[in-house]
Amino acid sequence: MIELIQVSKRYGDKWAVRDLSLTIPRGELFAFLGPNGAGKTTTIKILCGLLLPSSGRVRIGGYDLTEHGEAARRLISYVPDQPFLYDKLTGREFLQFIADLYGMPREQVGVRMAEVIRQFRLEDFVDDLTERYSHGMRQRTVFAAALLHQPQVLVADEPTVGLDPKSIRELKTLLRRLAHEGMTIFLSTHSLDIAEELADRIGIIDHGQLLGLGSLTELRQQAASDGDLEDVFLKITAETAEAADMAPQPGGREP
Amino acid sequence: MTGADAVLQVVGGTCPQGCRADPPWESQSRLVRVAQRVERMGAVEVQVDQAAVFRRLRWRLWRNGLRVAWQQGRTRLITVLLTSSFTAIFTFGLSYFLFRQLAVHNIPVKGAIAEALFDLLFFSLGTMLLFSAGLILYASLFPSAEVRFLLTTPARADRIFASKFLGAATYSSWGFVVLGIPIFLAYGWVSTVPWYYYLLVPAYLTGYVLVPASVAALVCLVVIRYGLHRRRWVLTALAILAGALVVWWLYRVGLGLRRTLSTSGREVQELLDQFAWVRSNLVPSRWMTRGVVAAARGDLWGALWPLAQVWSNGAMLYVVAAWTASRLYRKAYDQWASSQRRRKVYRPAWSDRFMAWLVGYLSPAEQALVVKDFRTFRRDPSQWGVLVIFTVLMLLGAGNFRRAQLSDLGRLDQYLISLMNFFGVAMLLCAALTRFIFPLISLEGKKFWVLGLAPLPRRAILRSKLAFAITGALLFAGSLILVADLLIGLPTLVIGVHLAAVGVIAVGLSALNVGLGAALADYQQTDPSKIVVGFGGTVNMVLGLGYMVVIMGLTVVPVHLVQMGRGNAWPPPLWAFAGWPVSLLLAWYACRLSLRRGSAALQASEF
Repeated sequence: MIELIQVSKRYGDKWAVRDLSLTIPRGELFAFLGPNGAGKTTTIKILCGLLLPSSGRVRIGGYDLTEHGEAARRLISYVPDQPFLYDKLTGREFLQFIADLYGMPREQVGVRMAEVIRQFRLEDFVDDLTERYSHGMRQRTVFAAALLHQPQVLVADEPTVGLDPKSIRELKTLLRRLAHEGMTIFLSTHSLDIAEELADRIGIIDHGQLLGLGSLTELRQQAASDGDLEDVFLKITAETAEAADMAPQPGGREP
Repeated sequence: MTGADAVLQVVGGTCPQGCRADPPWESQSRLVRVAQRVERMGAVEVQVDQAAVFRRLRWRLWRNGLRVAWQQGRTRLITVLLTSSFTAIFTFGLSYFLFRQLAVHNIPVKGAIAEALFDLLFFSLGTMLLFSAGLILYASLFPSAEVRFLLTTPARADRIFASKFLGAATYSSWGFVVLGIPIFLAYGWVSTVPWYYYLLVPAYLTGYVLVPASVAALVCLVVIRYGLHRRRWVLTALAILAGALVVWWLYRVGLGLRRTLSTSGREVQELLDQFAWVRSNLVPSRWMTRGVVAAARGDLWGALWPLAQVWSNGAMLYVVAAWTASRLYRKAYDQWASSQRRRKVYRPAWSDRFMAWLVGYLSPAEQALVVKDFRTFRRDPSQWGVLVIFTVLMLLGAGNFRRAQLSDLGRLDQYLISLMNFFGVAMLLCAALTRFIFPLISLEGKKFWVLGLAPLPRRAILRSKLAFAITGALLFAGSLILVADLLIGLPTLVIGVHLAAVGVIAVGLSALNVGLGAALADYQQTDPSKIVVGFGGTVNMVLGLGYMVVIMGLTVVPVHLVQMGRGNAWPPPLWAFAGWPVSLLLAWYACRLSLRRGSAALQASEF
């Protein structure tokens, strides 16, 4: 469903993402972990078509994102860490706009809107202007809009930021159910317990390179560790940092 | 349920209640192939009328915005309408008076003068629209959170562009229409034009907006796409070329103006010739003038042809811009986003320490606030670049009248030229303060909690903004006036009057901008250019212009009129300074009322 083929992204002299190759099949919940500045958000922005890769290809549902961008983006919903809503639209009007933009059949729109409003408990404020929403209300509305047109792929960047524990629990249940129903979910998070609890596979990225990929068991084997995901993550990223420090410096200088 | 399952469910196999199980016109194998194609592609191809989707979006945003403004800020809305109406009426009145003077005094070349004025007006308005639309488009197409969202949806690049273009063209042409229509209405009234003139003028103005706005869009897209804004040598070369052309043109205008003044207005041809390039048939402003003048003369067909030229060229330029956007916009966005990630190293500069020294009379916390605002200002060349350009142009203009060239100009002309120069500096100061100082409080916006929780009274925030504004205004306007007056060769007393008057104007305008900027803050808006053209910015600009004109009228104009009438008699009589007490009182009231209002609003702000 999602294919990244030797994707690289360069900002001047700095490689934000380097030779990233990744295939995520249909119905998998994939968690993407990494320290700050590792390249997670850049990878996500490339996946959603917001940024163009410096090299490599990205395919969503068989569509090349560069050549058939509109068709590819029709399959994706993206939930950013800072949700955007039009201040002068109500939640319901924003949902209607999304339905129109994604070409949902008219006869389905009313039914689906009622479903997502109920599902995300938007009834109390869906007819208020979004400029009056709290962060949690905005996050729920954006999620509702993301799932309204039943996308094939859901890309979420730090979806639990700013949510209360109850909302986080509900979000985890929702993500689990969506993956079970066949949606492919690409999740970037700092929350290791969510990744550990939900993800079918986990990718660990640092300095733009994929350091570890697989289920928790496979990552434990890679890291030669029996600890939890936090231990595995810290070990893998630390090993890579040490390896980078030990590599010969330009000019033959000692590190 | 996947898309493929849904297709199969509807057209074959299990079927929900109410639908046909086996469409007779389709074989099962074809249905399977369709379902497999759907499965592989993951979606059914849909054709979406994105133009209609965005039209509905814009309608809802406009309708809801108007509703909120009416329900929550009726006074503001009415004030905007009244202020705009007042501006239009004032412009109409002034234009009517000037056109009437041309007609009544039966000046031989009044037709040519009117045409030349229209040429210059359309060209100036078009140039201003080019820059303002370009800046607004840049802010809408690149740093905006909305486009970050839209670019991840199936919205096409040209659709996003079209939506933003409409917003930019509307925002930047508002003043164009509010000022342009009254001028042409006044001309029509004085010249007793046919009825269709009044229908054609709005049609001309609306079509004309497309031309500079589309050019601005093209330039914006190409510059960002090919990273020209990062290639200093390109920008430097363009700036030097543009500067050299402008300097040469100003020199020629100066020669023409000197000839006109030295012959008491009898020989204007040399001056008018300097505007010949504006009157070229290739320049869209010329089509506008030809059309409007033809309509005024009653030549309907003569008016319709230029109208068709304006609209067809405007439409063509828009289509080219939209096509360019469909090809370049995503790549341009990627270029822009990539350039934002490059690390720049910022260090404290000597200018920060100099600014802190200039406001040394403030408390350390207030000094820190001033230095913060100054740093923000100097680190954004788009803020002060235009100011520098206009400053250089004004000095070059004044430099045309160096002492060595004054042998064929009488004192009358020196006073006239210096008065025009003073007016130009005051206008520039008014515009600069409106553009840079008025939005300061609004731009604190979502970060206001940092200042709000700081251990200093909110009045201190206002004081620091005021100190920043006054320091910059006095330095800028004072030095400009001093240099220009020395170049023109005015007596010391008159230079002193000018400096004192510009000081009063600078202090009053600074207080107005800071006070009204706090009282009419728009914390939701992050684009300073939109804050300035919004309700608060409009009120502030109109009040500032009015204040500037009144102070100038009370302080500088009497001295100039007296001296122009008395030839070389010196010094001016005391009664020429009679307006000063009133002007100082007015300045005091302007400062007190606006700062009081601003302070109260700031105290009441929640975040």
